[in-house]
Formats: sequence, C-alpha cells, structure tokens
Amino acid sequence: MALVHNWQLDRAMSYWYPESRPKKQFAAVFDTNKCIACQTCTLACKTTWTSGQGQEYMLWNNVESKPYGFYPLGWDVQLLERLGGQSWSGRHYEGRTIFEAAGAGERVLGWRPDELDYAYPNVGEDDSAGAELQTGAFMELPHTKWFFYLARICNHCTYPACLASCPRSSIYKRQEDGVVLIDQSRCRGYQECVRACPYKKTFFNPMTSTSEKCIGCFPKIEMGQQPQCFVNCIGKIRHVGWISRPEDARPDNPVDYLVHIRKVALPLYPQWGLEPNVYYIPPVHVPRSFLRMMFGPGVDHAIESYRKAPDDPDLVGLLSLFGSSPQIVPRWKRLGDSVIGLTEAGAEILRVPMKEPVHIRKAFDLAAGVTRTNTP
Amino acid sequence: MRRLAMRLSVLSAAIGCLALLSCGGRHEKTTPEIVARGVATLPGDPEDRIWEKAPVHVATLLLQDMVEPRLLEASTTHVRIQALADGSRLAIRMSWDDSTRSDLLAPGKFGDACAVQFPVEGGADLPAPQMGEEGRPVEIAFWSAAWQALVDGRPRDIHAIYPGAKVDHYPYEAGSLEPGSSEQTAMESRYAPARAVGNPVAGPHDRPVQDLLAAGPGTLTPAERTLSDGKGRFASASWVVLVSRPLPATLAHTGRAQAAFAVWEGGNREAGARKMRTGWIPISLEEGR
Ligand code: SF4
Ligand code: SF4
Ligand code: SF4
Repeated sequence: MALVHNWQLDRAMSYWYPESRPKKQFAAVFDTNKCIACQTCTLACKTTWTSGQGQEYMLWNNVESKPYGFYPLGWDVQLLERLGGQSWSGRHYEGRTIFEAAGAGERVLGWRPDELDYAYPNVGEDDSAGAELQTGAFMELPHTKWFFYLARICNHCTYPACLASCPRSSIYKRQEDGVVLIDQSRCRGYQECVRACPYKKTFFNPMTSTSEKCIGCFPKIEMGQQPQCFVNCIGKIRHVGWISRPEDARPDNPVDYLVHIRKVALPLYPQWGLEPNVYYIPPVHVPRSFLRMMFGPGVDHAIESYRKAPDDPDLVGLLSLFGSSPQIVPRWKRLGDSVIGLTEAGAEILRVPMKEPVHIRKAFDLAAGVTRTNTP
Repeated sequence: MRRLAMRLSVLSAAIGCLALLSCGGRHEKTTPEIVARGVATLPGDPEDRIWEKAPVHVATLLLQDMVEPRLLEASTTHVRIQALADGSRLAIRMSWDDSTRSDLLAPGKFGDACAVQFPVEGGADLPAPQMGEEGRPVEIAFWSAAWQALVDGRPRDIHAIYPGAKVDHYPYEAGSLEPGSSEQTAMESRYAPARAVGNPVAGPHDRPVQDLLAAGPGTLTPAERTLSDGKGRFASASWVVLVSRPLPATLAHTGRAQAAFAVWEGGNREAGARKMRTGWIPISLEEGR
C-alpha cells in the first residue's frame, strides 16, 4: 500500500499503487435534475458496445430510480452496510475508505454480486420514498414523496478499485486521458474487479470468460467527440471534459468551473475513496441526509447555488451548453446572453443563446393554408 | 438407551474413517515423493486401468496466503498424484475430493481447475514455488473444468448457460449478413472483444489444458503454443484429471525434478490467486516394470 492524496476527502489515504495522475483526466458532470429516465443513453451504449453474445445483461450505462433502484441489486447499500457508518468533519473525511477497510488477505473491501443480482435492471423504477403509499394517496404540499433518477457510467476513477484488485494487472489507466480499461488480451476472468468496483461497473462476460467495462468511448474521445451516452442524452443532462486538480482549476474549463469553483457538482460516494470522476448536480427535492450519504458534505452548498442559477448568468449559461455539441467542449465563456463553447486553443465550437428567442406565429398559416398545431 | 445411541455414533464414526482410508476403493501405499513409472504408451484417459499400477503420492494442499488476494480458509485438503512417462512425455493424474461439480463460468460462478508447475531451469536452487520469480520462470499446465465441458460438447452458446434466455437479435444475425460468411464471423468477433484480440481463455477451446509461463505472482502469460493436453472426469464427488505434457528437460536428463500443484474449488469461488497449492515436491523417473 502507498500513501496518496485524495482531494475529495481532503486527506491522504492508502492505495495499492503510488499516486500517478494521468496527463489529462476524463471527467463528466451529470445534472440529475434534468434526467427523465428515458434510457436513451443506456440503449446508445448497448447498441454501440455490448450487443454481443454474453453481454446481454451488461449495462455499462444504466439509469436507476433512487432510492429503490439498483443495478446490480443493492450495489451501493450492500457496500455501505459492509463499510459501516463513517463520518465527515466539514469537507475532511474522517472515516475509512474501502482501501483502508480491506479485510485480511484483501486489497479492497468489496462484495460479489450473485448471478441473479443482475436479473432486475429496472427494479424499483419510479418507486417513491418518503411516505407509505398503500392507501388514499393525495397531493400534499410540500410534496413529501420523492425519488430521483441516477444515470451511471464508469467513473474512470483516479484511484480505481478495479485496477487495484486485479492480481494480474490486467486493468490500466491511460496516461493520455485517464480512461480505465481492462486489457482483453490479458484478463483471465478471475472477477476480482467485479468484486472490488464499488460502483459495480465491471461485468463478467460468460461467453468469453473475461470481464468488461465502460471504455469511455475512447475511440470517440480520441477524435475529440463526446461519448455515445452523452450525445444521445435526451435530457441534455451530461457534459464531458477534463478535470484539473483543485489547485490548478481554471474558470474557463466547464468541469473545473462546476466542480471546483462553483462546487455545484459532486462525486458519487466520495467516502469510498476512489476519487470518481463523474460529478453529479444533486436533485433539489430529495431529503438532504440521503443526498449527503451519496454525494458527501457539499450537498447543501451545491443545491443552494443551483437553486439560484436563474439569477446567476454564468451558471445558467454554462448549464445551457450541456448536450449542445457532439464535440468535446473543453473551454467556455459567456458573452452577454450567449454562451460560447471553445476548443483548447480558443477557437469557437458553438454559440448558444441563453434565452431562446420567442417567435409568435399566427394560428392559421396562410401560405400553406393550414391551421398550425402547437408543435414547438 | 443413551449408551446405545453413543455406541451407534462411535460405530458410524469408525465406518466413516474406513471409508476415508479406502478412498477410491483401493488401499494404496503412499510414496514420499512422486515416482513417474516408465511405460511404453501413455494413457489418454485418467480412468485407464494402467493407473492402478502407478504409485500414488498424496500431497497436502496449503492455502495461497502469500499474496493478496489470498485464500484464508482451507478448502480442498489433499490431491492424489500419479505419474507415468514414456520417452518423450509425462502424464500426470491428479484426483481430489469435491462435493460440488463447478464447470460453468458466469457472473459470481467459478470453475474447478488444477495445475501442475515445473521450474524452467533444473538444479538444486529452485525458484519460489508460488509462480516462480523474476529471472527464474516456471512452466505451468492448467486444466479447467469449464473448458473440459466445452471440449466434451457443451455448445458455445448463451442458452447452454441460461437455458431460458430469450434473445431477440444479435447484430451479426442481421439479414444483410450471410450466415457463416467471413463478414458475419468478423462482426460476431467484434462483439466478443477478448476473442477478437485472440485471448486464449475466450476460446474456442480444442483442449481443456493451457500451457503458461510465469516469473512471479501476477505474471502468468500464455506459452507460445500449448503442447500439453488432458482430460478430466467427475464422478462420486471427486475429480480425476489427466494432464500430459512434454517431459520436463531436467527430468529427462537427470531422472529427477521438482513439481508443484494447485487446485481451485469453483464452488468456493476460487480463481486466480485464491487457490490451494503445494510447495515443490520431488518427482523421479522409474524404469518400467
Ligand atoms: S467505477 Fe469501478 S470500474 Fe470504473 S474505474 Fe472506478 S473502480 Fe474501475
Ligand atoms: S462512455 Fe461510452 S462506453 Fe461508457 S457508458 Fe457511455 S456510451 Fe458506454
Ligand atoms: S438519455 Fe439522458 S435523460 Fe435519458 S435517461 Fe439517459 S441521462 Fe437521463
């Protein structure tokens, strides 16, 4: 074990390998408030990468309804229970990570899903929490029932547990973009990574006897394109880019701005210690204690800032860049009522109006001789 | 009454012991090391009657508790080892008790397996028995129950694993692709990444054994070609596995060598580093009788 720095925990922690950050780190921001659980992202990934034999139940991207949705069954509560209650002191994590809590003979505290845990990809879908809904449910204000959609891909973690757990070092993190890959020519299917990844984002393929995982659509990334599950996102909840270390954060980097500067986007289960690189804008309507368990101590600040976005032109401007281009947008700036996406070198990729212009059209279209219907 | 019950239980314990001693229905002498008897023709089957004449060495299995991830609770305790040799090859028969036959690999499901290992270089100064060490490699023949099932005819098809599976369509079944055409095969392999890059564990398997090299834990690499072969049978809660390989050079030249063994109990979710293993065990060639 080596001692490495994890900024999400505001402390050093032990990890199987010494700290070695890539030149660039793949990162994404997902706005949970905008996800409609249409699963277009899931299908986009599935049809592109996992529609072969043996990959039937392999969902590199999935969207689950929290709190009762899980894929595989109980993936997070199983581990939370094994880790036990832990605590934060402000932004400093005082508890143990899954590396520090590893049992004798183990590299990582993990658990192994059973085969049937993969059989219910839409368990708990749209099930509400917050009240018993057996009889006579009616509308109350404030609304006490809640659920929210959590879209998940591999977090291309800075300290991947999958990578740490592989006794053959078949998993590697690319220096050029931080994408974490399983070398399909080296894997022997021991399934240690399936046991170790706390997000359960490595999957065993029973037809090839190797484990597979989200590849961050690296062939697209290499061409400057956003991954499949990003460009196909109907709710435009996703933005992909590169994250800097907090001390090097740049305000003109969209991910840095949302994560480090405005702190509206938070890691998923940071307490596990992997420094995951998909960041979530937490849902505004969910009990805070539940959100703090999932996204750490920054939840209150994130939600307050997000709620004020309508009066915050920079924040609302940047959020309207989400899902606006098939290209990766690594820089941005706001010019009045427009937000501009830029390349690394500063060339304009796209310009998005922050307010859509209003066009009023007559109910009857004289030229075509038809009555218009209300189709935007 | 109570006394009678006690006597009965003592009696049944004694019967149990006897059964254990006559494992396999034979009372055999255990040799202190492995003796490979010379024969004119090596058997291709672990159940060939010729094995009845081969000396038996019963090896105690140890936990792999040196490198993480480790196995912390012992599973398989012993492996019975026999060996026969002709002028060029060595046949090794391993058998061990296993109450659960595990020959399907699936999420959370692991296969029974065994392996035999020799140092690449001979001599008294042996590499570490756990996968050798840097600059001092070992060669390994690995047998897998799951590959045996495939060789024995289990179809390479998802329905062989999940008989109730309903699949609408795979991309390589598109109407525009002629069944069996090279385009279709190429498409199918694109959706089986490990097979597409030629990883031997992904199959297809023409034999249940793979030859490997290692120079320390975590360094296992397929040999350029697999020259070993084998056959495993499961009956009466035990595995009997034959692995035949080219005669190790040291054994051929000096008549003596060292071998180490490993057994994986799939039912106990053992794979890779989680295994039961032996230290080095001397093996010698004995002229045929
Ligand atoms: S989310 Fe899981 S699979 Fe992805 S890098 Fe992190 S530990 Fe590995
Ligand atoms: S990034 Fe690509 S590989 Fe990963 S989940 Fe999204 S579509 Fe699938
Ligand atoms: S495509 Fe977008 S909106 Fe639809 S489920 Fe996926 S993340 Fe949510």
